[in-house]
Amino acid sequence: MSTPAKFIIQPRGSPPSRRGRLLPWALVAPTVLFVVAMTVFPLGYSMWTSLQEYPLGQPPAFVGLRNYQKLIHDVNFRSSLATTLLFTISATGVEFVLGLGLALLLKGEFSFQGIIRSSLMIPMVIAPVVVGIIWRLLYNADVGLFSFAVQELTGKSLSVLSSSMLALPALILVDVWEWTPFMFLLLLAGIQSLPQEPFEAARVDGASTWDIFRHLTMPMLRPVIVVALLIRSLDAFTVFDQVFVLTQGGPGTATEVATLMIYKSAFRFSQFGYAAAMAISLLILVMFFSAAVTRALRGSG
Amino acid sequence: MARSGSGSPRQRLWFLTRLALIVLALIITLLPVYWMVNTSLKTQVEVFASPPTLYAQNPTFGNYVNLFVRRHLGVYLLNSLIIVGSAVLLSLVLGSLAAYFLARFAKGRMQQQLNFWVLAPRMIPPAALVVPVFLILQHFGLINKKLGLVLVYTAFNLPFVAWMMRSFFQEIPVDLEEAAMVDGSSRLRSFWDVVLPLAAPGLVATSIFSLIITFNEFFFALILTSTPEAATLPVGTASLIGKTQTLYGEMAAAGVVAAVPLVVFALLVQRHLVRGLTMGAVK
Repeated sequence: MSTPAKFIIQPRGSPPSRRGRLLPWALVAPTVLFVVAMTVFPLGYSMWTSLQEYPLGQPPAFVGLRNYQKLIHDVNFRSSLATTLLFTISATGVEFVLGLGLALLLKGEFSFQGIIRSSLMIPMVIAPVVVGIIWRLLYNADVGLFSFAVQELTGKSLSVLSSSMLALPALILVDVWEWTPFMFLLLLAGIQSLPQEPFEAARVDGASTWDIFRHLTMPMLRPVIVVALLIRSLDAFTVFDQVFVLTQGGPGTATEVATLMIYKSAFRFSQFGYAAAMAISLLILVMFFSAAVTRALRGSG
Repeated sequence: MARSGSGSPRQRLWFLTRLALIVLALIITLLPVYWMVNTSLKTQVEVFASPPTLYAQNPTFGNYVNLFVRRHLGVYLLNSLIIVGSAVLLSLVLGSLAAYFLARFAKGRMQQQLNFWVLAPRMIPPAALVVPVFLILQHFGLINKKLGLVLVYTAFNLPFVAWMMRSFFQEIPVDLEEAAMVDGSSRLRSFWDVVLPLAAPGLVATSIFSLIITFNEFFFALILTSTPEAATLPVGTASLIGKTQTLYGEMAAAGVVAAVPLVVFALLVQRHLVRGLTMGAVK
């Protein structure tokens, strides 16, 4: 804030000076510059990269759409997308139901509400890497509380993260644990900001609790629900940290979500062009996906 | 817990069900975190005890000492503080100016356009930016340098800061600045003297938010840094997983070190949490 105070604004009525007119643009320029340099330009560069091949030890060569052609026939990429989609839909769905339930359970005033709500939001603010560590400890077959409980209940020793059947559900459970608080907080805020009169009127008219929920709460909550589902599903769609810490995509490729596949192909196998092509495809999918979600949820109202 | 502990049997049944469900939710939420803290305080022998001990029998800080003495966790922590601190400060200064522009000068169509341009980056999958950002930073020799990560984090924070601060600035009446300007104060001076102090709580909330997001960031940090010269705490912690093998106590302790400051910070901004998480879409 060392800028000297030299931008004098004229009193109301008279036209602003040249400097006065320039001031707004001076305010916004640095931010625009940063966003262009780190978002817009890289996006363009990414598209350019996706049209190239990076052979080891040689300069990159332009190959046109060959990376995309390869991509269409890549079984691994397709299965990775399917895994990502399954992860996103399951996790977001369960989080939404549980979050809504919690919000309905905890709306209104009661004793200890502050401390209860604060406690419930803890998983969400812990770094995803740490969440990964927490669940590594729980799932571990030798020292884990979770595995111990399973063993006591079923008599079988179980290493969930090395089972190709259970690894993905285990990751979904981690995501549900971490992000249900997010749904809960958003929906609670939404519910508490609803006007009271329609509910009072409905109750006077003798509507049942279920009717009120179905025909009043849900429709009025729709805008908040759209925002919550959109933000959460977009983040779930690009999940990386917890998967990296817990399974690295394994066993086999059972949990190889899209971002992890892009990471591996770029930074373990140095296929920058191919990785960029996957990333651009992912971006296009995300754009369609968010447009569809927004339209579906807004339209049905 | 609810206000009516008495009343008809039906009411009492609902009260008890509700109480039970809330307690259950609390247990599921807190038990995993407790287990990490518990494990971090155990000796290597006790970690492997079967059945697992519900609390450390001979609590020890040995794991924490090892982390800082043998595994350079302090260095990673310091890197994180320097990188996150610089990025948050830089994005706070630049982002607030942009936010003031958005709140006071952007009108009508331009406002809608800007809304899009500020919010769109939030929708871009990080994976779509990571390859070019890596190549660009490599070109400038900024891989595994603190400065590289500071620039990246500043850029990612800016839209968020601009958006949050805009919503706080909009709550401040324009009349106050205009009064100051009529008294001969310049626009920037009245921004500094009048608007900023009034928006201070918002500024604090926004900075703590950026702090949480940046401090927890892993994907770009993993790719852009690798050695103790610049690697952040999440990267250092993740690299421990390979190095410590079955030293689960140390792994847990590293998790605790990385989690505690953040939980404290989050409790401070709890009131603004929803607004921050949705970039102002829900208040």
